Amino acid sequence: MGVSCVYMYPVPEGRSGAHVVEVLQKQVETIGGVKMGSFVVDCESYLSIMLSVSKTLQILHNTEYPASCFAVLDSGATLVADTLFNGLLSHLKAYYQARKGSKIESKGNRYQLADFVIKIGSVTLSGSFKGILVEVEYCPSVIASECWNLMKELLQSLIGNIAESPPPSLKMKMDEIYTPAMTMLQYLEHFNNFRKAAAVSQPPR
Amino acid sequence: MNKDTTQAELIFQSIHLIQKLRHDVGQVFKDLSDGISEYIEEPAEKDENDGGSNKDVSKDKAATQDQKDTTGPSHEKSEEHHEKHRAILKTLKKSLETISHDFSDLEKTGANIGPVQMFSNIDNLSLDPVDKNTVTHSQLLQSYKWTNKMHELSDQAVTILGQNTLKRTQSPKFTNVKKLKGNTLSAWVAPQQTVDQCLSVLNQDHPGSNFTWSRPLGGCAALQIEIGKTLKAVVVLRGLTIEWVKIKGFDETFKTDDGQIDIWSSSRYQVFQKLTHHAEAASLHYYAPTKPDLAIKSFVMWLHGFSNLFSVPCQKCGKYLQNNMPPTWRDYRNRKPFHDVCRM
Repeated sequence: MGVSCVYMYPVPEGRSGAHVVEVLQKQVETIGGVKMGSFVVDCESYLSIMLSVSKTLQILHNTEYPASCFAVLDSGATLVADTLFNGLLSHLKAYYQARKGSKIESKGNRYQLADFVIKIGSVTLSGSFKGILVEVEYCPSVIASECWNLMKELLQSLIGNIAESPPPSLKMKMDEIYTPAMTMLQYLEHFNNFRKAAAVSQPPR
Repeated sequence: MNKDTTQAELIFQSIHLIQKLRHDVGQVFKDLSDGISEYIEEPAEKDENDGGSNKDVSKDKAATQDQKDTTGPSHEKSEEHHEKHRAILKTLKKSLETISHDFSDLEKTGANIGPVQMFSNIDNLSLDPVDKNTVTHSQLLQSYKWTNKMHELSDQAVTILGQNTLKRTQSPKFTNVKKLKGNTLSAWVAPQQTVDQCLSVLNQDHPGSNFTWSRPLGGCAALQIEIGKTLKAVVVLRGLTIEWVKIKGFDETFKTDDGQIDIWSSSRYQVFQKLTHHAEAASLHYYAPTKPDLAIKSFVMWLHGFSNLFSVPCQKCGKYLQNNMPPTWRDYRNRKPFHDVCRM
């Protein structure tokens, strides 16, 4: 467990996402990264149906923490529970119902580079490609502010100026002890952006 | 020793006898399988092949007779046949006699051989048919040879090192030898109160760190130091002398599953494995048996220099990362950060 930073890597126009992912993977391998399996981060939205103002509950899973399930409310309040929580949700059908076609996931290869873990994932929203997320984790450190400069150096060699400043959701918590939930919040933020972009380009019928 | 040699001779003799016996028995069977036809068809070849043993001579006789009489009349032929039979039987009888003689010889020799004395269980191991498939025995032999070799080499090393006058503990830099003799002892057998007092002072001197110590085995203190939120270190003290150092990450633990202190396991992060190596080197660098409290003080101070392990760039190259590692080296004098490869 260490500090993670997740960034969206833009796909230039006229190039396929798969190609860009491949270039990134090559780059990681060039700087010495060793492929260590794959990873998936997925997120599903649940809508409350009893309240007058509908609220969303996001359920996230991460293969890095295979025994955990992350539930995030709109306010950002996060619950980290066992995977049994999934079963509990199916009993809460009367209160929360899954929004159809909301399943979004980032899937790709996981690389190890000394004490760094680099994950290059392609994001798919209900089956269609939406973009690329790059996660860099520095495992030995638990305080983001301490190792930010060090991570920045690696991030910039990998994805350039996109990593000019820490991810916005991490900025407030730079001096706290890092928890896996912070990683999930970063993913959720990106997932929400992808969803918004998808909703704009494809207005609901 | 003498008994052993006679035993060996006897064994050798009996092996020889067995070989002879086998040869004779083989010969009998060969003769039997050849039968009469051999005597008629290939007498010349037989002559060439066989040496000068008794039965061979008789065979030869029969064979030459055979050759001579092939042209004779039919009633003579039947008589020849009988004679041949007799010759064969004679040969056979002779061979069997030789066999029985050899066999009795072997029996006599065998009776003289005493049971082989087993020296250890290893000998039994080599006899065990189940273990024939495994390699235990050969491996044991191999390791025995290695340990023997190691003994030899270490003996040599002792003689060579004995000639070397340069010894760390007798360095005049610290003090003269006489004074040292009185004080080294005190560094190792410092009373617990002194150690406790020294550690409490250290704890107060370094507000960013957290010192806890316990004595799981009585005498030696196992000191755990948490430096900021960066790293944890365990230092085993014998009296006030540093004997063992391990460094781990802040999210790792020095406790085993059953709550015991674990000083052996290494960190899973490369950075802290490297730091452990450096800390071991530093514990030797700051080693001062005459002033043990000063030694541990300077060591802890040096270790405290790692509180900014991830947040300061290297003094030489100005970068944070080198080989994907932060500056893992701190200078002994001024505690300035350097990468492992950047230090002078």
